[in-house]
Amino acid sequence: MIIELGHYALVLALATAIIQAWLPIAGVTRGDRALMELASSAAVVCFLLVAFSFAVLTFAYVTSDFSVRNVWENSHSLKPLIYKMTGVWGNHEGSMLLWLLILVFFSALVSLFGRSLPETLKATVLAVQAWIAGAFALFILLTSNPFARLIPAPGEGKDLNPVLQDIGLSIHPPLLYLGYVGFSVCFSFAVAALIEGRIDAAWARWVRPWTLAAWTCLTAGIAMGSYWAYYELGWGGWWFWDPVENASFMPWLAGTALLHSALVMEKREALKIWTVLLAILTFSLSLLGTFLVRSGVLTSVHAFATDPTRGVFILAILVIFIGGAFSLFALRASHLKAGGIFAPISREGALVLNNLILTTATATVLTGTLYPLLLEALTGDKISVGAPFFNMTFGLLMLPLIAVVPFGPLLAWKRGDLAGAAQRLFAAAAIGLVVAATCYYAANGGPVLAPLGIGLGAYLILGALTDLVLRSGLGKVAGGVAWRRLTGLPRSAFGTALAHIGLGITLIGIVTVTAFQTEVVAEMKPGAMIDVGRYSLRFDGMRQGRGPNYTEERGHFTVSRGGVAVTEIWSSKRLYPARRMPTTEAGIRTFGLSQLYVSLGDQMAGGGIVVRIWWKPLILCIWGGALVMMAGGIVSLSDRRLRVGAPSRARKAVLATGAAE
Amino acid sequence: MLFWILVAILTAAVAAVLVLPLMRAAVPLPSPHSHDIEVYRDQLDELARDREAGLIGGEEAELARAEIARRLLAASAADATAGQSAPKRLLSSRHAQAFIFLCLPAIGVGLYLMTGSPGVPAQPLAARLASPGDDINILIANAENRLALNPGDGAGWDLLAPIYMRSGRVDDAVDAYDRAIRLMGPTPARLGGYAEALVVQSGGLVTAEAQSALEKALALDSDDPRSEFYLALGLRQEGKRAEALAAFRKLAGKSPADATWMPFVNRHIAELGGPPPDAAGAAPGNPTSKDIAAADEMGAGDRQAMIRGMVESLSSRLKEDPANFEGWTRLIRSYVVLDQRDKAEEALREGLKAFPATGDEGKQLLALGRELGIDASGEEK
Repeated sequence: MIIELGHYALVLALATAIIQAWLPIAGVTRGDRALMELASSAAVVCFLLVAFSFAVLTFAYVTSDFSVRNVWENSHSLKPLIYKMTGVWGNHEGSMLLWLLILVFFSALVSLFGRSLPETLKATVLAVQAWIAGAFALFILLTSNPFARLIPAPGEGKDLNPVLQDIGLSIHPPLLYLGYVGFSVCFSFAVAALIEGRIDAAWARWVRPWTLAAWTCLTAGIAMGSYWAYYELGWGGWWFWDPVENASFMPWLAGTALLHSALVMEKREALKIWTVLLAILTFSLSLLGTFLVRSGVLTSVHAFATDPTRGVFILAILVIFIGGAFSLFALRASHLKAGGIFAPISREGALVLNNLILTTATATVLTGTLYPLLLEALTGDKISVGAPFFNMTFGLLMLPLIAVVPFGPLLAWKRGDLAGAAQRLFAAAAIGLVVAATCYYAANGGPVLAPLGIGLGAYLILGALTDLVLRSGLGKVAGGVAWRRLTGLPRSAFGTALAHIGLGITLIGIVTVTAFQTEVVAEMKPGAMIDVGRYSLRFDGMRQGRGPNYTEERGHFTVSRGGVAVTEIWSSKRLYPARRMPTTEAGIRTFGLSQLYVSLGDQMAGGGIVVRIWWKPLILCIWGGALVMMAGGIVSLSDRRLRVGAPSRARKAVLATGAAE
Repeated sequence: MLFWILVAILTAAVAAVLVLPLMRAAVPLPSPHSHDIEVYRDQLDELARDREAGLIGGEEAELARAEIARRLLAASAADATAGQSAPKRLLSSRHAQAFIFLCLPAIGVGLYLMTGSPGVPAQPLAARLASPGDDINILIANAENRLALNPGDGAGWDLLAPIYMRSGRVDDAVDAYDRAIRLMGPTPARLGGYAEALVVQSGGLVTAEAQSALEKALALDSDDPRSEFYLALGLRQEGKRAEALAAFRKLAGKSPADATWMPFVNRHIAELGGPPPDAAGAAPGNPTSKDIAAADEMGAGDRQAMIRGMVESLSSRLKEDPANFEGWTRLIRSYVVLDQRDKAEEALREGLKAFPATGDEGKQLLALGRELGIDASGEEK
């Protein structure tokens, strides 16, 4: 009965969303406050209903209730409890329910924390959220119902895809969805502004925290997904330019652009219309990502054809929301008052450049992702647009962006002094070059571009620090004063610096791993030795093992350096009998920021086994940098001040202090 | 009943929460610019606080103040020109309430009845395991759990294999028979069951592996009727009609007239052109559960006649509406199982007309043809 109640709660949530979608709008057009207030309570009710429904599905998973088809298809009674719970969203139906849950969670947050919002704006925003929630609730109920029953109930489930039976599943999808869906709030604010035909003075200030929160979660979600793929798939790679990865990367790029343009809008009331457009674009890309991954278009065109209802339904949602929002934009954008003028050389100018490059990069990734799909749909030809395309186009676009990143925070609002900023960045650039040169010598004939890339990373980090140093006046004023000024800086300044430093760290990691990793593939028999990087590995043999729902063969390796045993590595191959699926569990050992990665291949006749071993220098920088970016997002999010960007007087003011905050 | 009471309570509670704000009296809305003015005043206060705390220099503070003051003035001017609009109640609160009270139960119960299964209880596995009753799936699961702990228990696999077969888990049945044979040694019953499972697994075809198992079974017991039957069927599928007829005749001669497999044997003999040895033997009997599994896939006796009827109707339906990919694959498979290879080939050709070989479906049809050993060029294989 509890299962059916959960199902009913989901249906009731849809009904509530329909009410929340229309009555508040009626209230706004007729100036009826009571109807507008209804949006707030409806949003909370809707969240509670979906949360109950989600809890019931989780309960069905935990108790292995195989009378629920979705549980039978994706669970197994012997699975560890944590994977029973994470298995809830390890499948199409459950993950759509999680998507909806996070969407209504954000609506409830807007309703609870949006007390300072003007009533009409709040009601419209919540109504737009409810349109999205209603569409997805209907999609779930009609095409992907997780509460469909199976009578008589089977005695055992079909188990979760073994690749997903990992702690990564408990972190990656929820974070990614928090990011994807978090942008829905920005979208709703943008659509609300278009519907009202005016943008409030504090619009950007309200939108920015949501953008920041969503961006932070998306950054973490993508980084987590990348690390998960790295250690679970056993291919040793951390980014494949796979369409599914691109689907999450595009909203991130657009979201990063949005974050920066919202900054300009908040402080200078400029770029209003552009910011609104970006907010729509970012969530549209999130929806597109959901469509690409969820409709089955990506795994194969055929899967799309066998269950056309799902794909067509999401496509309809996509067309209605994206098309609707852009049409609304076309109709109403002219009603919005543009504001704030600025010189090309100014912080606004730098941020516009940032936006131009980021949106171009988004377009590049979008083209690379969709072109093969379109081509296959139209002509049936299969082509794959792989890493070379993206590395060429995307990489080239990123170079100038990275070069100008440190300039942004150093330029003053409204009109800046490029020469001054360049002068102040001279030290950072010089040290970056020195680092590059050092790397070149160290590598001695290694790839020429790699040291430059590392130097660029160092320049990013130092550039961000330069900004902090200059603002505190370190070296010009007494140490105590500088310290007081530094601690007195707005937290958003630290957030900016942290995010830019994180980008530098990631860049260093990417370049180092790409240029300097070593890979060895060999057939090894017990007792064989092999040298990888500075370490040598001895293969000691295989051992049988057994987990709760799998059996495994584990290979044992002793790692030594200079003849001294340092550590040991276990690398295994597992077999999950319920799905008759093998997986590899790579053996990974961390040395500082670098890793040794051992993956087992096929067993050969004669007792040997194929082993792939990588030495991955500084690989942890890739995800460590993302963590630092995330920290930047959180620090910036904690800065709740009202802010206005004070312009500086034409020449002199720039030199006075950099604290034009 | 309790379920519907809870549904009613939940619906009523949601409706009550939603209706609550509508009970209040209408209050005029503040002008749209009043909020902006408030924001700018806050910004001025914040600026003053920052100036006092020394967070911002004197000149910047002055410039920022000027900037905010400009915006404040603009907003105030706009506010003064905008007329205060009186609250309207065109959509009266009563209409809104009626909408809520109607919408919630109508959509809620309506859509739920469409998609839900009211009255089906939750069935947590622990509770089912504690009192399995006649829940065959749980009995199997219990046996599986025991075997997972002790996979060397051959008797357990031997017991489970035919149960798998009966509940349609053919792959598991093949696996269980295989284990039972390895652990307990071959017997005609195990080998025959194994072969039967293989036949069903391969969609009714007597594969080489099944054939070798059947031959082993016959070597152990030359009178095992099941093995003889499937071997004869294999001969027929290979196109050796005369030998198949002889084998079926031999089986019929050895079997009692009321044996459960006799109707199937007689049907094959009749189809292969021989007269039934005994009219009484052809009386339709209820096949036992053991035979059902075979009949499901292979078609024999009444069952085969029924299948024939179904196939003919499918064929005529496809003639009217050829754009049915599933239908064509089913028809081709059915003809192969019925051993009507020429018809299967014709169906493949017809199917390829509807789904050209260049498309995805066409390729799949060709692959199916290759898998079943028929080709579309029209020549006998």
